[in-house]
Amino acid sequence: MSADTIALSASEISKVVDGPDGRLTILDGVGLEVARGDSLAIVGASGSGKTTLLGLLAGLDRPSRGSITLAGQCLDALDEEARARLRRRLVGFVFQSFHLLPALNAEENVMLPLDLEGRADARERAAEALARVGLERRRHHYPHQLSGGEQQRVALARAFVHAPQILFADEPTGNLDQRTGASVGDLLFALNREHATTLVLVTHDARLAARCARSLQLREGRIVDTVANPAAGESRSQEPAA
Amino acid sequence: MRPLAFAARSLRREFRQAELATLAAALVLAVAALAAVATLASRVERAILASAAELIGGDLGLNAGKPLPPEFAAEAQRRGLATNRLADFPSVVFAGETSKLADVRASDDAFPLRSELRVLDAKGTEKTAHAPPPGAIYADRSALAALDVDVGAQVQLGGRDLLVAGEIAQSPDGGNVFRLAPRVLMNLADAQASGLIGVGSRARHRLLLAGDAAAIADFAAWAKPRLPDGAELTTVEDAQQNLRTAFERGESFLRLAALLAALLSGVAVALAAQRFARRKTEEVALLRCLGASRGEILVALLLELGLLALPACLLGLAVGLGLQELVLSLARGLLPGTAPGLPWGPPLAAFAVGLAVLFGFALPPLLRLREIEPMRVFRRESARRLRRFDALYLLPLAVGAVLIFFGAGNPRLAATLAAGFAGVALATLALGSLLLGLVRTAASRLRGALRFGLANLSRRRRLTLLQAGALSLSLTALAVLAVVGPSLLARWRADLPADTPNWFVLNLQTDQRATVEQRLRELGATNLNTLPLAVGKLVAINGRAPDPNDYEDRRAAGWINGETRVSWSDALPEANALLQGRWFDATPTAPQISVDEMWVRMFHLKLGDTMTLRVGEREITATIASIRGVDWDSFRVNFFLMLDPASGAGLPHSHVASFHLAGDATRALAGLSRDHPNLSLIDLNAILDRVRDIIARVSRAVAWVLGFSLAAGLLVLLAALASTADERRHETALLRTLGAHARQLDVAVLAEFAVLGLLAGSIAIVGAGAIGTLLARQVFRLNDYLPPIGELSLVVIGAALAVALAGWIGTLRIARTSPMNVLRRA
Repeated sequence: MSADTIALSASEISKVVDGPDGRLTILDGVGLEVARGDSLAIVGASGSGKTTLLGLLAGLDRPSRGSITLAGQCLDALDEEARARLRRRLVGFVFQSFHLLPALNAEENVMLPLDLEGRADARERAAEALARVGLERRRHHYPHQLSGGEQQRVALARAFVHAPQILFADEPTGNLDQRTGASVGDLLFALNREHATTLVLVTHDARLAARCARSLQLREGRIVDTVANPAAGESRSQEPAA
Repeated sequence: MRPLAFAARSLRREFRQAELATLAAALVLAVAALAAVATLASRVERAILASAAELIGGDLGLNAGKPLPPEFAAEAQRRGLATNRLADFPSVVFAGETSKLADVRASDDAFPLRSELRVLDAKGTEKTAHAPPPGAIYADRSALAALDVDVGAQVQLGGRDLLVAGEIAQSPDGGNVFRLAPRVLMNLADAQASGLIGVGSRARHRLLLAGDAAAIADFAAWAKPRLPDGAELTTVEDAQQNLRTAFERGESFLRLAALLAALLSGVAVALAAQRFARRKTEEVALLRCLGASRGEILVALLLELGLLALPACLLGLAVGLGLQELVLSLARGLLPGTAPGLPWGPPLAAFAVGLAVLFGFALPPLLRLREIEPMRVFRRESARRLRRFDALYLLPLAVGAVLIFFGAGNPRLAATLAAGFAGVALATLALGSLLLGLVRTAASRLRGALRFGLANLSRRRRLTLLQAGALSLSLTALAVLAVVGPSLLARWRADLPADTPNWFVLNLQTDQRATVEQRLRELGATNLNTLPLAVGKLVAINGRAPDPNDYEDRRAAGWINGETRVSWSDALPEANALLQGRWFDATPTAPQISVDEMWVRMFHLKLGDTMTLRVGEREITATIASIRGVDWDSFRVNFFLMLDPASGAGLPHSHVASFHLAGDATRALAGLSRDHPNLSLIDLNAILDRVRDIIARVSRAVAWVLGFSLAAGLLVLLAALASTADERRHETALLRTLGAHARQLDVAVLAEFAVLGLLAGSIAIVGAGAIGTLLARQVFRLNDYLPPIGELSLVVIGAALAVALAGWIGTLRIARTSPMNVLRRA
């Protein structure tokens, strides 16, 4: 892959933290590359370091060693504020626990990234994004008035509303039942295709991982296997939509 | 990100939630309480000053040994001020064969500018009057009795025949306790024509002015650098020592009430802000994750707070001003005359203090939000625990201290409050930590809901200590407002009991003493107290002649250049408290002296220093053996300097006696005065009435202000505490889900609040009692005050129960709703 086509790369990154029983190595010499518009699933058991890796790749934290390049920018050289600016422009997030702000209704939650950019048309674009995920009638509902699947669809609308180059998703279906999870998965991949977004996905769900172009298996902080999925992106979930 | 738009949008959304609404309510109440108390205090203060103006007969006086140049009166008139020229001098009045030395006041027609001159005519009808016309005088009861004449008689004064046109019933006369003789009022033209106030006379010339406060202040500034030698300005504030004490005490009470209201509000704002910041944590983590910078988050938070504060402060201001207007209209007669106009200073200050309280108490938890790491969106525990000492938490303390020191306007009040509240905070921290340790051990041996409730306390250690601190401080402030304030007021009101001396006898010679004392007892005098009096001059301190320029207190010059009175006594006189050193031995080897604390401060004295006094031909150098605090408003005979009796007895001296004589004793005492013409009898009734009147008015106003601060403080505190019950929302819902009965939840919550209330309540009882005792001694100089511990305990226990109830009711709402709703919101 040429530098122009690489959306994300990491080389030899490690993360070591101080624990109650001494130093703990969470990631150990991880390296990867993701091309623009490509999708990568990170899979592994609980505690294997998946979420830590996702956080480092998204620039939410710094590795103890190694370097990460996101959309052509080397994160090592950027301080937290510069990384925040980069995230604002280029990155979208979907979380396992949705992370909708309870004080805001659906539309206001979707408006957040646009508000941060100071966009005057935030409300209109949020309404469009909600309509795209089928929640135009739920615009003024608060998170506690929405089901888990609906909350995650709002979170998807929020993740794509400012057309990010890269989307990081942390167990996006982890809190949902199988059927709802499949439907949210469909929506995620559909939006990803429409926006030609690069996707990095952490999941336990083998079927969801199989829809990414590549899967990367982590165990005890190391990459133990990388699998290419030739049929990725073409299949829809086998479950009927919710 | 456009921080202002973002902040406005956040505020609009978040206002629907309890935290910001509580914060706003605390702020509204804080500013309302402050504005109401401070404005009311300022208006009462101004009314009191106006009442002092009545006493000196004007708003400002210029006094001089020579007639003042006419440019002063002209300038005052040019500035729209009313003027009154007068001269005071002693002169002998003749009525046939009888003569009497009288204090004569000669005045132009304008007298009095303030208050009223009330005069009785020959038929005994009382009317309001101005200075008598040329050819006539008014005389007071003592003068008429001493001369044995009635209204309508002719007397001679300054070689002129003058008609006694009336008897002075009431006159604004400066309330000088040491007025030595009966009072006569004449026209200034007569005095000038008779040469009584010409060159070489002993007259004191005065120009009294009255008018708008700003114009008076401007004129005083204009006149000060132009005053001729020997002339001085007299403001209403330094009009009279006894009254000043009354004003100062009243002012201290009002300031105390306002300060406590401000501190209570601060506690409420701090509690609400703490909770707001906790609620905001997840949002900030998400915003950081979505790319908001630390600076943007901080600016947006500050803007949000500012957008909240501005309307809240304005609303508080409107409510506060309305409330004080209501108090004024409900308490008619609170202020003498018409209420002074609305001052702008106090409401503006309340507005500023409201902002200071908000930012001072709310900033620390909000600023910490900057530190939140974006990784927190994945893992709550990933938030780094900042254990280092955080200087930010000194901010509320600093704001509290600045509030106290600027708000108190009196270093003693400030120091007492600061020390008292710091003590309460430290005691809470120490005892709270100890108690949490005990609770942790005890909880493990308990079962069920009680165990859960108590375990909660030690699990949320920081929050528990914070809440216990807030509770202790609030309960202490409430107890000071509810119990200590009123009991100090009651003690103050009782300060001038019915048998307070209302007469002084001066110039009593040693050989007359027994006879006169016997006569006075026969007339029914009680509380008779006689002390020797030697008049001398202070010639040296520690062997050096004192120089007025060495002392910043301008009163020092008066004592250095003028006469000094000294007395002696075997025992420490009543209304005196020994502050340092010991009272005299029976037979000291060298002369010793006891000095009043005001002199100690004024002349920078300490135990062991020497003072040299010249009395007649004799000089005596005495070592300072003790320092006394003197209750100057006891109306007893008191002295700044007291020698040991062995040294004093050898000095040339007379005696001075004070006593109480009920009813109209003037005629009875006139006989005594005729039989002993050298005696000077001084009637203190007028000034005593005045002081009693002022105490009554001020204490009524203070009672209102204390009551209002108490009610507002209690409301703010309950609102803030009810919201802390919300902390338990999630746990309560979880327990309900796991099948806990409502009763078990009640027990758990009540156990938590009971421990908090017990701890805070116990500290508050001791704290408020200690603050009350300190306030009584240090600020109000009520040395024998004992805080009413029983009442204090009842009120504090009541308040602690109310707090527990408020907390419980807050949880009740949650416990009675579906846990599903709560858990989904969490």
